[in-house]
Amino acid sequence: MSRALKNNVYNTLIWTAAVLSIAILVFLIATLIWKGMGAISVGFLTSASENFGSEGGILYQIIGSLALTLCAAVCSFPIALGVAIYKSEYVKSKVFQNITDTIIYSLNGIPSIIFGIFGLIFFVNILQTGVSWFVGGIILAMMILPTIILASHQAIRSIPNSYRENAQALGLTQWQVIRAVIFPRGINGAFTGLLLGLARAIGETAPIMFIATAFSGVTVPRTFLEPVSSLPTHILALAQQATNPQALQNAWGSSLVLVSLVFIFSISALVRRIQYSKINY
Amino acid sequence: MLVFQNKIGKGYVLASTYLCIAVTLLIFLILFWNSYPALSTVGFDLFTMTWNPAKDQFGVLSMLFGTLAVTAIALLIAVPLGILTAIFTSEILPNRYRLYVKSAIELLAGIPSIIYGLIGIALVSPWIATLFELSSGRTLVTAGILLAVMILPTIITLTDDALHNIPQQYRETSKGLGLYPFEIIQKTLVPIAKRNIAGAVLLALGRALGETMAVMLLVGSIDKIPEPFYNLLSPGQTITSKLGREVGESAFGSLHFSALNAIGFLLLLLVITLTIGTQVYMRKGIRTV
Amino acid sequence: MKNILVIGFVLLALSCSKPKNDTVRVAGSTTVLPVISVAAERYMKLHPDSRIIVNAGGSGVGVNQVGSQQIEIGMISRDITQKELEQYPETSFQIHAIGRDAVVPVVSSELYNAGITSLTLEQIAKIYRGEISNWKELNGPDKDILVIDKEASRGTRHVFMEIVLGDKEAVAQGADLVLGANNEEQTALTQSDAALGILSNAWLNDDVKGISILMPDGSIVEPTLENIINNKFPITRDLVLVTNGTPTGQTKTFIDFIMSPEGQEIVKQNGYVSISK
Repeated sequence: MSRALKNNVYNTLIWTAAVLSIAILVFLIATLIWKGMGAISVGFLTSASENFGSEGGILYQIIGSLALTLCAAVCSFPIALGVAIYKSEYVKSKVFQNITDTIIYSLNGIPSIIFGIFGLIFFVNILQTGVSWFVGGIILAMMILPTIILASHQAIRSIPNSYRENAQALGLTQWQVIRAVIFPRGINGAFTGLLLGLARAIGETAPIMFIATAFSGVTVPRTFLEPVSSLPTHILALAQQATNPQALQNAWGSSLVLVSLVFIFSISALVRRIQYSKINY
Repeated sequence: MLVFQNKIGKGYVLASTYLCIAVTLLIFLILFWNSYPALSTVGFDLFTMTWNPAKDQFGVLSMLFGTLAVTAIALLIAVPLGILTAIFTSEILPNRYRLYVKSAIELLAGIPSIIYGLIGIALVSPWIATLFELSSGRTLVTAGILLAVMILPTIITLTDDALHNIPQQYRETSKGLGLYPFEIIQKTLVPIAKRNIAGAVLLALGRALGETMAVMLLVGSIDKIPEPFYNLLSPGQTITSKLGREVGESAFGSLHFSALNAIGFLLLLLVITLTIGTQVYMRKGIRTV
Repeated sequence: MKNILVIGFVLLALSCSKPKNDTVRVAGSTTVLPVISVAAERYMKLHPDSRIIVNAGGSGVGVNQVGSQQIEIGMISRDITQKELEQYPETSFQIHAIGRDAVVPVVSSELYNAGITSLTLEQIAKIYRGEISNWKELNGPDKDILVIDKEASRGTRHVFMEIVLGDKEAVAQGADLVLGANNEEQTALTQSDAALGILSNAWLNDDVKGISILMPDGSIVEPTLENIINNKFPITRDLVLVTNGTPTGQTKTFIDFIMSPEGQEIVKQNGYVSISK
């Protein structure tokens, strides 16, 4: 085969692959929007679900999902920021640096269903909390810790050492340096990471399905130890009755709402990342 | 006061770090501790075919097979497709569009797995059933295809990054030597980015192994290895689908629950080894051009 | 500062740890679920302060969660097994039958229209054992049988396997798919044109047809409510709520509501047989 011909074959392959990939991805989004729009109305978003979720709306599923993510955010943010600061400002030994890195990457790699099983054993059975949204939030918080830590750490690392040295030269204690120099940048990074983490957390089903959610009868939680309904588990229940047209329509509607929430988080993260990548020291 | 603040501050960051480490270790410990009864009583009988909790038989071979089969199908589809697409976005697509296309692909990586499950049940599985004239579209292949679509964005973005980070001078020099575009890609760029591309694939593999919801809805959930074993258009079972379906209905403290923990622990070890391995491999691979 | 906030948050959580005693948590069998979730909706309208939280999962989940005292009421559609009783020695399971139901072998409508309208229990057993694998052998169309089984601890499966294969925890060698909730099984049957499955009587519709049982004496018993009431249909069972000891408070009033004429009306509306005839 001549080189020119080979070049053409390669080109065709690449173009075909690109068109195919993009077609698949466009198909996904188009399906979600097309099928989902048919189900969504004001009534759908503001009423409770009825009759196995095939009738009524998804108000309490939305509230439940938001409660879970809010809880995850509140629990994970301060801890992640602390780890990021410790990692970048305090750890001097290479060995401990490697250990924390390994730990963080391990936590990041744990499959989501394993978090669910862990939560079931540790919280529901050992601590006897019962099925509760608060426990679900804590589990989701553990799951997104690495994302926030890494984003925050990256932001802190990009601060030039001269800033720290100047601050120290002014006679500030280490914690004052951190508060004045490290904190603002670290929080920014952590916030971007948090948005990315929440985009993942809100769509997760496996970690919460044993420990945080219930099928029906739940409204706005009145205590910490009560189950909620959530969008992903609602879609799971509806997907199982996919030949019931009404249930299927509500499933598409719930999916579009869920994907929109995910995209709100991830687009905000993307925008922030682009903005902050322009800051130069 | 300042010294005091300094101490509290240090205490806070230290406590956070220890908490993070403790949580990770706790997950491992709890899973291992709950696997132990099954590992010690069932032992190597785990590597048999029959899973029947009523008779205390816990053979996991069919789940291991299903996991490997589904993951292999997903990689076979997603790796070539993803890498070729990444070559397109990095080398052919004009730079001003690249950011948009890449952002869009990154967004798609965030679509929750349960939605892939819904698309699979409502659309893909009936298509597969019609296309191959099967009585049911819930097969290992169906799960593999959905999984491939799920990991595609990961492979594309990471491979694209790997290629795009190669300095322009490599391309110019190659061009100066009279190489065709495909030869530049094949002989210059891919070898340089090889390590990072491999990292992307390993990361995608890790995600595929641990994915639960879509697989659980689509794989058929039967503890069997197809006959003949390469007939992947048959239903099967993966570790994650087994866990997703049975953990809720097994009693905490029973041998059944412990056996489920054991396969969960197995999966955890597999994925973690892979993740850490990738990390070490990539760290060595950082180039200073 | 942040630490203190977190600690405060956790303490706050623990301080309101026990759910208020007017919350009743129910979980278990998807066969009983429709009755209970409708009953719960009505009950909460009558008692606005109460809250009945209903969850699915299957009979196994119902027994386990009552056993480990995570919920007040378990929904089950089978007997509690010896193993389950041994698992929870501290729990005194108390059973409240709320209705009757039949477990029906079901086929895709295409098969029903092609003439598969009744089978003997022996034929069904052979299909589940894998000894019959094509509908042709039963004078049906030339199609491989898609045998749909259920997850092991599901009530519908226990009742069915006890009568058909003689052991409620028998392994069905001939099964092709294993699914969970009645809804999920119904979906798979609808999507296929050659499937045999097991469903509660209340899930039959135009796409999934319940077949009649051809009895040894030659009579054909259809899965009708009448045949369930007079015990002619061979595979019937009670739908049961299970509690830990004698129910009190809100749990008791809720169960009483289901036993009342209004509650039993809901049982009938959902396609089951009322126990109070």
